[in-house]
Amino acid sequence: MTTAVELGLIYAIVALGVYLTFRVLNFPDLTVDGSFTAGAGTAGVLIVQGVNPFLATAAAFVAGAVAGLITGLLHTKGNINGLLAGILTMIGLYSINLRIMGAANVPLLREDTLFTLLYSNVSRGIGSIVVLAVVALLFKIVIDWYLHTDAGLALQATGDNELMIRSFAVSTDRQKIYGLMISNGLVAVAGALVAQYQGFVDIQMGIGLILVGLASVIVGQAIFGNRVVIQATLAVVLGAVLYRLAIQFALNAGLNPNDMKLLSALLVIVALLLPQWSGFRKIAGWRRGLGSGGAAGLTDDGAAATSSANMPERDPNQPSTAANQVVGDRAGVGSPGVGSTGSGASGGTSSTGSKAV
Amino acid sequence: MLNITNVSKTFFPGTVNERKALVNVSLELRPGDFVTVIGSNGAGKSTILNTIAGRIQQDSGRVEIDGKEITKQKEFQRAARIGRVFQDPMAGTAPNLTVEENLSLADRRGAFRGLARAVSGSKRDRFAEELKVLELGLENRMKTKVGLLSGGQRQALSLLMATFSNPKVLLLDEHTAALDPQRAELVTRLTNQVVRAQGLTTLMVTHNMNQALEVGNRLIMMHEGRIILDATPGEKKQMTPEDLLRRFSQLKGAALDDKTMLQ
Repeated sequence: MTTAVELGLIYAIVALGVYLTFRVLNFPDLTVDGSFTAGAGTAGVLIVQGVNPFLATAAAFVAGAVAGLITGLLHTKGNINGLLAGILTMIGLYSINLRIMGAANVPLLREDTLFTLLYSNVSRGIGSIVVLAVVALLFKIVIDWYLHTDAGLALQATGDNELMIRSFAVSTDRQKIYGLMISNGLVAVAGALVAQYQGFVDIQMGIGLILVGLASVIVGQAIFGNRVVIQATLAVVLGAVLYRLAIQFALNAGLNPNDMKLLSALLVIVALLLPQWSGFRKIAGWRRGLGSGGAAGLTDDGAAATSSANMPERDPNQPSTAANQVVGDRAGVGSPGVGSTGSGASGGTSSTGSKAV
Repeated sequence: MLNITNVSKTFFPGTVNERKALVNVSLELRPGDFVTVIGSNGAGKSTILNTIAGRIQQDSGRVEIDGKEITKQKEFQRAARIGRVFQDPMAGTAPNLTVEENLSLADRRGAFRGLARAVSGSKRDRFAEELKVLELGLENRMKTKVGLLSGGQRQALSLLMATFSNPKVLLLDEHTAALDPQRAELVTRLTNQVVRAQGLTTLMVTHNMNQALEVGNRLIMMHEGRIILDATPGEKKQMTPEDLLRRFSQLKGAALDDKTMLQ
């Protein structure tokens, strides 16, 4: 339980990064699979060399930001489709990560890490959870703040209506690159933290990570809503914790860790498909009629995939409002049986359970 | 203020679909000129606007604003000096941001966008004052997401956003065409009002001949990528829609769409 919540709070940083690209920029960025490991590898190698773990974790941010920069340049300057640009960077990073790490696995067991520091000051359990929650919320608050600055608003508008924001003298190319850099920087920091948490870096630890991020964002926002930025980021953080708890539950229930990736893919598919089903729209309308559905307002997932930025808003927003709450409920029920990418994040073969230090 | 010299643009050159959208078009707008542009479909009206805005790169010729050549600038760079309102009422605003956030985005046109809070108390007051001009009550709905507003409200807001950041040139691309007559009337009135108040140099494409004659001080008619009529303020005052229709009917192959005929 403690492990699940702690990991969830670390993965909340991944979810915040994915939120920035997937939701704010409306850009499905697959770079994260590579930048997560890049961050872990960078921090791990630096820690082994005796660098202060805070500095090593900060360096991970830079490594991730560079990965995001490359995807951004490929997409904006190279006119490469966004998905493909992310995949290209991700694949390329696999080799680069191996170069950074020097081996497929870098153990950190006897090194001073942020978590040896944490556990020497607070006890595992409530104490460590509180500290990690504060850290996750700090990241959330910084993102909230940034998105409400002039620069952050331009970023939001870039994901919302490119034509419009360009007509107000903003380079949408540059905004996309900034967004990808910040997002991948955050994901890399999370990678560095996970590596220090589990005591090793593994070349495979990032595989399937995008699903962890997406599941956290989609499920979190379905349950807790995303009407305004502050709410949306909080939902994403809570979504990451819920997701981790669901995995834990599934493993405790005796599910095979090897099936987790399939099950987490299914979870995301269900969370994306259910709001489109007319039966749920009807229930949504009925619930809205009772005045119960007003809080959550997940931007229609189908719309995110298919629509242009300036499609009429009322349709996607309102009908799905309560539908997504329903999805949230369903996802909650479904997720014990629906597993996780957790095993992927901790290395191809090791299970989530083995991640506890 | 706005100088277009010998601008040409051909779409799909060298293919069977080749279409000459602009043929050696030259046009000069003096400061404060409000020019309406009419023409049949495919006459090059929108192309000339998009060429000025940088959305379309011309094949040859140059574009100057305020004596500065902008031919090589990208769309977003030119936008620092050009305000635009589009035909689609959804195009000019960000639907998932609030009214005040949209205004704040417009307010920073051409300025550095840093880490200052985008919407602060003093800005909010200023935005509310600006919104009152629209007389749509939007000043009381500043925290409403723009996606929840009607098309007319969004278009009025787009117009305000395009103009209140003091652009050198205002480009209006049939910005009332997608609105119902009442809303179109409102947006036309607001356009007139704001262009006059700020003395904005304006180029307005329209399908509506009455509108083209009612507003502005100059009128140009385009056909097959050329300007075939440039009415001075004096001539324009004398003109009637019938005159314009007669002009059109003299043109070979000028297909008037039903909408134009009705209006």
